[in-house]
Amino acid sequence: MTEKTNPKPEETKIGVYVCYCGGNISDVVDVEKVAEKMREHPNVTIARTDMSMCSDAGQSIVENDIKELGLTRVVIGACAPSLHEHTFRGTVARGGLNPYYFHHVGLREQDSWVHSNNPGGATEKAVRLMYAGIAKANLLKPLDMIKLKAERHALVIGGGVAGLRAAYDIAGRGINVTLIEKTPFLGGRMAQLETVFPTGNNAREDLHSLINEVRTHPLITIHTLSELVNIRGYIGNYDVQIRSQSRGVSGDNAEAALAACTQEVPDDFNYGLTKRKVVYRAYEGCFPSTPAVDWEHYDGKPIEIDGQKVIFENKKKTFDLRIGAIVIATGFQPYEPPRGDYGYDELPEVVTLPQFIRYMGLRDGNVGELTWKGHPVRDIAAIHCVGSRHLAGVHEPQPDGILNNYCSRVCCTATLHQVNELLDEYPNINVYDFYEDIRTYGLEHESYYTEASKNMVRFLRFHGDQRPEVAAAPEGDTHPVLVKGKDYLTNGLEIEVPVDLVILAVGMVPRPVDDLVDMMKIPKGDDRFLLEVHPKLRPVETPVPGIVLAGTAQSPMNIQESCNAASAAAAKVSVLLASGQVELDPFVAKVDLDKCTGTGDCIEVCEYEDAIVLETMTVEGNEVQRAVVTPANCSGCGNCVSACPHHAIDVQGWEVAHYEAMVDAITMEVEL
Amino acid sequence: MDENKLKADALVVGGGIAGMQSALDLADQGYQVILVEKEPSIGGKMIMLSKVFPTLDCASCITTPKMSAVANNKNIRILSYSEIQSVQKNGSGFIANVLKKPRFVVEETCTGCRLCEYACPVDIPNPFDLNIGAIRAVRVPFSTAVPQIAVLDMDNCILCGKCARACPVDSIDFLQTEKEVEIEVDTLIIATGFETTPIDAKKEYGNGKLHNVIDGLIMERLLAPTGPYARVIRPGDGKEPESIAYVQCAGSRDETLGVPYCSRICCMYAIKQAMLIAGSLPMADITIYYMDIRTFGKGYEQFYQNAQAMGIEFVKGKVAKISEDENQNPVVRVELIDENSQIIERTHDMIVLSVGMSPKYNPSQVYGVNVDEFGFVKSPTPNLSSTKTNQPGIFATGASTGPMDIVDSINSASAAASSAASYLESVRNGK
Repeated sequence: MTEKTNPKPEETKIGVYVCYCGGNISDVVDVEKVAEKMREHPNVTIARTDMSMCSDAGQSIVENDIKELGLTRVVIGACAPSLHEHTFRGTVARGGLNPYYFHHVGLREQDSWVHSNNPGGATEKAVRLMYAGIAKANLLKPLDMIKLKAERHALVIGGGVAGLRAAYDIAGRGINVTLIEKTPFLGGRMAQLETVFPTGNNAREDLHSLINEVRTHPLITIHTLSELVNIRGYIGNYDVQIRSQSRGVSGDNAEAALAACTQEVPDDFNYGLTKRKVVYRAYEGCFPSTPAVDWEHYDGKPIEIDGQKVIFENKKKTFDLRIGAIVIATGFQPYEPPRGDYGYDELPEVVTLPQFIRYMGLRDGNVGELTWKGHPVRDIAAIHCVGSRHLAGVHEPQPDGILNNYCSRVCCTATLHQVNELLDEYPNINVYDFYEDIRTYGLEHESYYTEASKNMVRFLRFHGDQRPEVAAAPEGDTHPVLVKGKDYLTNGLEIEVPVDLVILAVGMVPRPVDDLVDMMKIPKGDDRFLLEVHPKLRPVETPVPGIVLAGTAQSPMNIQESCNAASAAAAKVSVLLASGQVELDPFVAKVDLDKCTGTGDCIEVCEYEDAIVLETMTVEGNEVQRAVVTPANCSGCGNCVSACPHHAIDVQGWEVAHYEAMVDAITMEVEL
Repeated sequence: MDENKLKADALVVGGGIAGMQSALDLADQGYQVILVEKEPSIGGKMIMLSKVFPTLDCASCITTPKMSAVANNKNIRILSYSEIQSVQKNGSGFIANVLKKPRFVVEETCTGCRLCEYACPVDIPNPFDLNIGAIRAVRVPFSTAVPQIAVLDMDNCILCGKCARACPVDSIDFLQTEKEVEIEVDTLIIATGFETTPIDAKKEYGNGKLHNVIDGLIMERLLAPTGPYARVIRPGDGKEPESIAYVQCAGSRDETLGVPYCSRICCMYAIKQAMLIAGSLPMADITIYYMDIRTFGKGYEQFYQNAQAMGIEFVKGKVAKISEDENQNPVVRVELIDENSQIIERTHDMIVLSVGMSPKYNPSQVYGVNVDEFGFVKSPTPNLSSTKTNQPGIFATGASTGPMDIVDSINSASAAASSAASYLESVRNGK
């Protein structure tokens, strides 16, 4: 029926607009020439150029032209459609046209950026691409967005500070939240810190103020020992399956079980510096306070008290939820150097910064003298950029083939903060700080560097390709370890510093989340961190609608930045779910029932569940099978289009006839 | 409705990238937002920039659609060319008194056709180009301004009346006066942004008097396609520079200037500008004199490595002094830390001072919020909720809370919207 209102191609009145893109396009493509060529096209009513079509002024031109010239179609040649196709649909709609009477031609990514060395060719290509756009625009039909009810319920994955912040903010907007955490306890990495910059507050006290708000919020449900195992559906209507493990002990005898347990394993909370029981609490005051069994390491031997078993079977249960949007807050893990790198894992005097923070936190008050493995600590070396800022051709890629060429952002300030705290307590210790650049960026961070300098920390500057080396000192030396390197603050002087302890300022790597990445089909960047759509336009969103990122799963961040990102993620979820309704582009498969014979070929090639199914219907008195599409489940991939032997399926807005017209146009003779 | 009394859910003060993002995130959740901007157009500092790191998108490609989205959002009302005079508590909400400055142009009828601008005989320095280019005394502030409404600079107007005669809709009103507007809202977000640290503060760098020494923001205008010359030339004599140097931390990390902090953005913008100059002036030598290169954000270190690979020279050394030779070429005196710490003097054609960020405005008086010694809004909970202030219901975001790049400002702005939305809900539920 919509076809009837569609003017014949020869009757369309097309407005064509070619954008300079602030020089991005016009530096290469002769934009005025392109517009001039467009004016020769019989369907083109008007062709204009503008410095930036996406500006309010640029958009107003289009709006006015639609109204005043009675345009029936609009074609804009500009940046990538992913950036501003949506913007221009709004423009076209405000002008009074169906928003899908618009075609966006990518003249930047597909032309000027890739042909910057060939302006003439790029201009010709622009003309061809624009002609193709016009050919398609001629055939466009009016479409309506698909409107769907959205479940006002968000899932937050990860119970660290970012996940907690996101959950609390979403709930604050009146939206239900389910928070799942893989381990038995909330708090994540922040719980493992002692004092935090820039406040000097105790990390766990700050954290628990947030945990208390989250756990007492009536709209938030927390599941520890839980992970996402399956996901289906689409924005507003995700069906997720969550698997939970049991804590293994029950409230009544939990304390007794903890007391009776004798099996010990390295304590991951203390990065292996100490041991803990397999029935454990992560730390004093953790939430939930009920201990849990470390199922991964538990040897399975029963623990009995008065003949009663106190460790129960790990009953895994799964449950299903209908979810409107998902926040991924899976966090980071500290980079772990390979054995032998800077003496790590070989020399007992080499620790990572996170380990050192735990070591300082574990001390029983100020004991007068700092010791390490029973020896007094007089001299310490801190080495920056361990696992960060690696250079191609100088450093080995990681075992997964990826070079850690990024800066981990937090390690400089974290190291100097820790060093200052140490020197406040032990002013007689000498600290040698080996760095490449000190990156105490931002308002209050620089003061840590200034204070460290005042505290007489010796700063020694290395070049990125000549990092210091750590080796055991010869027998009988005054100190157990030697750090050797060149100091480029003193003309590249070869130096050798004997120390009692080496602290490696290790960077951040994302927690392994390949299972989530595969399940949700979200992208990772070259650095393995989860990738946003655009760092400024959509900084916390993934390309999958309704799935957003919070915190260090996306990139290295400090606590403030993680919380801001988490609150930003919460804002996006609130925008999506506040109205209880979401709208999707109508680019989905559509079956022509007159042509369909019910072969089912389409269903075989469809990769999305329930997107296309055979339904029984009556045609001319006969019961027949016909393909039927559920638009919300369809991604518009087009697999079914190519599989159908009767050409009975098309993707709305991207029909086969559109492509044919575009190919014809693109191969036309063009004279410039 | 009485136009002198407005009511909304939220008031956002400042129409730069942070304020726009906060306003959009609240409006898209269904809240009514009033956005107050001091200048005749929203867009803030970002709309003045050339291209932005680390993606090298043109700044207007990101900013103008946001400006347009703000203008077209039915839940947002923009009050441009307006300033907050005072804010009083009103139960759990606020009443703000706003002064709407006279544009001498009737907003309701002006179509932005610019005929007044073409008719005006008075050229004045263009504030949008940091006064290096010229603009008419009556004009649409810049081509992508929102709203597209002319503004008349009465200080420079000669009252010749040409604009009034040229205006097809009779919108020039020489007798317009300022107007007071009272706004009643439940929550308020401060997004008043930053200004760059002054170029003339440092004696050792010539107090802003050297001919071919400019600051980073002016270089942004020179590089922007909408800029005054649409190419990079040195201001002293219009010569195309063959050797350009950046002096880092020229206004940050410097206790003598009262700015001990790092401004976060200058390393990246210097590297970005260097890359853009290398594109437009391929034969030019570009040097960056630095103390520490701080490319800490996502993709920033890789950006730095790309710049090194492009041949941009990075020299470790804090520039001690800048002087000028007889041809007005700037001369830097610097210790080359990586080359045996020799002290040398080097002549360049042009120098860009990588100036830092300081707050544009101190909101403590009007809003009763705590600020730090520099005037940045100070949060009582900087880690867990950095946009909160000591005043319940008032939030602060972006560069008003500390130096921040665009990416961090946008997240901060969305975070402020999130906190403000939670506050609105809690007030409504009587919590």
